[in-house]
Amino acid sequence: MRNSEPGSPVSSIGGRVPAADAGAPITRLFESMRPELLRFAHWLARDRAIAEDIVQEALLRAWRSRDALKDLGAARPWLLTIVRREHARLYERKRLELVSLDEVVETPASPRFPEPGGELFALRHAIMRLPIEYREPLVLQVMGGFSTEEIARELALSATAVLTRLFRARNKLRVIYGLTAAPDAAAPESLP
Amino acid sequence: MTCDEARLLIGADPGATTPELEEHLATCAACARFREEMRALDAEIRRALERPPDTVRPRSGRPSRTWRQWALAASVVLASFAVLAVWLLRPSDTLAREVVAHVQAEPESWLATQHVSAQDIGQALRGAGVALDVTSDRVMYAQSCWFRGHYVPHLVIQTARGPATVLILRHEQVRARRSFHEAGMTGLIIPAEHGSIAVLTRGAGDPADIAGHMQHEVHWLPDAR
Repeated sequence: MRNSEPGSPVSSIGGRVPAADAGAPITRLFESMRPELLRFAHWLARDRAIAEDIVQEALLRAWRSRDALKDLGAARPWLLTIVRREHARLYERKRLELVSLDEVVETPASPRFPEPGGELFALRHAIMRLPIEYREPLVLQVMGGFSTEEIARELALSATAVLTRLFRARNKLRVIYGLTAAPDAAAPESLP
Repeated sequence: MTCDEARLLIGADPGATTPELEEHLATCAACARFREEMRALDAEIRRALERPPDTVRPRSGRPSRTWRQWALAASVVLASFAVLAVWLLRPSDTLAREVVAHVQAEPESWLATQHVSAQDIGQALRGAGVALDVTSDRVMYAQSCWFRGHYVPHLVIQTARGPATVLILRHEQVRARRSFHEAGMTGLIIPAEHGSIAVLTRGAGDPADIAGHMQHEVHWLPDAR
């Protein structure tokens, strides 16, 4: 676990947050977002421990930069963006061991979340197996609610390239869903 | 707008719409159907992402001392359980337990009141390498379910003594029939020509009767994957 600053949302894990800070709206907001950020990071990193590290670091960064957040209503996309960048940064900085898909196994239906059918399980597994260049824009769009233009800015891609990646991501999942793959209507990706 | 352009937009964001896209869809039934399919798929993608992936990943490198201690303790416990399981020959049997868990996870399957169409039964059997003599008017539920690494047909068949769940397990070999009773269900797994068939009933239903019928009504196709 990484070091954290007193009063930051990160330190509240250890119960060290001062009472005054713990009650601060921004702290409560960050803490309330933590499960969603963790889920988001987990889908990006495909590893629970790495996802926890990412969120930990992202919340610490967010806390340090909290003055930049003028509107608390915009906290969600702001935090998701920080998590995404932290995910990218972590891989660049640490050159983390890639998670081998042959080693990663999704446990079939935990008691807390029984799966209603097998197709959803297969779809989740297929999403997890998507290459990061397809999985990342899909998760940003579906979970994060980001527009094509926002994703393009975030990933430093052209809007056309984002459309292409999203199209191809869904096209791969169509087959898992029992549909035939559509002809690849996407043009080769262009530079931003 | 061309069909290619329309499909690119739909595939990239099935929920989005533009006047040009709507104009195209008004005159192109194939693209309109494509959008319907993609919207349905997108709803499932949303559901799939609603919870984090339940992943487990074995750690590489030399196991830690703590890990070895736990492993030793776990192996002792597992060995005890294995002996107990063999002795009891009950639902502690892994396959039986997983069959029960799978059926428990689909409680709605018992509640179906509509007959399943022959087409839907065909979908459930697709890829499983089996054909079925059971007429569709007896089948109340039919799904192709992911079970132990394979898609298997999961059927609920109406009998005179209530509904019975049938899982056709082409990839699960059992040497002898195994009976069990758990969670209010009575179950039986029998060896079949290829793999096995699991039958579960609730209440008065006798799985042995149904399993006997299923042995004759399931036809194992050659060259199944």
